[in-house]
Amino acid sequence: MKSLEANAGALTNFEVLDFLRSKGAANDSTRVLAKVAPSEYKVYDYLVQSAACKQTRENINEFLERCKKYDLAKAELLNIINIRPSSAVEIYTIVEECEKRFGDAVEELVELVEKVLPPPPIELKPEEGIDEGKEETGNIDGGKDEPATGEQMG
Amino acid sequence: MFYLSRIEHTFRVPPSLLSLPIEEAVKGELERLFLDKVIANLGLCVSIYDIISIEGGFIFPSDGAATYTVVFRLIMFRPFVGEIIAAKLKESNATGLRLSLGFFDDIYIPVHLLPNPSRFKPDPNKRDKGMWEWEYGGEPYVIDGIDEIKFRVHNVSYPPIPIEKPKEAKPFAPMVITGSINDDGLGPISWWVGAEQTDES
Repeated sequence: MKSLEANAGALTNFEVLDFLRSKGAANDSTRVLAKVAPSEYKVYDYLVQSAACKQTRENINEFLERCKKYDLAKAELLNIINIRPSSAVEIYTIVEECEKRFGDAVEELVELVEKVLPPPPIELKPEEGIDEGKEETGNIDGGKDEPATGEQMG
Repeated sequence: MFYLSRIEHTFRVPPSLLSLPIEEAVKGELERLFLDKVIANLGLCVSIYDIISIEGGFIFPSDGAATYTVVFRLIMFRPFVGEIIAAKLKESNATGLRLSLGFFDDIYIPVHLLPNPSRFKPDPNKRDKGMWEWEYGGEPYVIDGIDEIKFRVHNVSYPPIPIEKPKEAKPFAPMVITGSINDDGLGPISWWVGAEQTDES
């Protein structure tokens, strides 16, 4: 195996969710028919209850457009889109040296996030989501240790 | 959190797949090889994004299968240092917290990256389990795992495969994320829900 380009572009959570949906992860309630692997369903379950759930391409493009004036780093924008911070204190954790760079504009940014990006689903039903993922693999312990037992390549 | 990685790999496509179109056969083999596996320094493979080129198809002497060289892109789970991620509590013991994303469980918050001062309250019913609480303004804030926990990625490491494993050791994890919740806005989401007003005044 040869890695030609380790970083061929970052994806937002929404893009990954969109990709999994396009593979048919959302349409198949039995989770057997679609060509989606059990491990992909686990990622799908995580993303569907995150802020990415209701985002659309238009939302994100609009947000990026309107954020240009703030001069945020790419990683910060990516993180804001993934987390969708709905209060100033959450922005402070994401944006480095927020106080110095923003001062009072933080409130403005929070408003922009709330206006442009759709809110995450209300109090998620996390138990269900995770349980379903476990059923998928057929045994509870196996699901839990999957990343741990994965082979290392490289 | 997710990245694309472009990779070239040469592998054998067994003759049992000859009946399929070549793209499908190659994709199936790639999924079998890479899905849900960790590649050192690239992260955990989530999905095959696309196949860019398929070349070759050589049959080596004394081998009953065609060997192809394929260039493809993978969706990798590879958080960057400093990223904020929301996760669920999986375990809580005297050495710290263990968090889970559902598809990835090897996220650890060691004691020195918990908010200061934190105290550990052992659970009398369960051996070496318990709850951490953060004391702030005289009030305890408990990490009970009811709501999501936001953490900052402190370090991502890819430990080498151990040659000899001591008995009763933890299962080997090829990728370990160390996180920190020692900052404003991090930790269980409910801690910060009503906090903004007091913060800004």
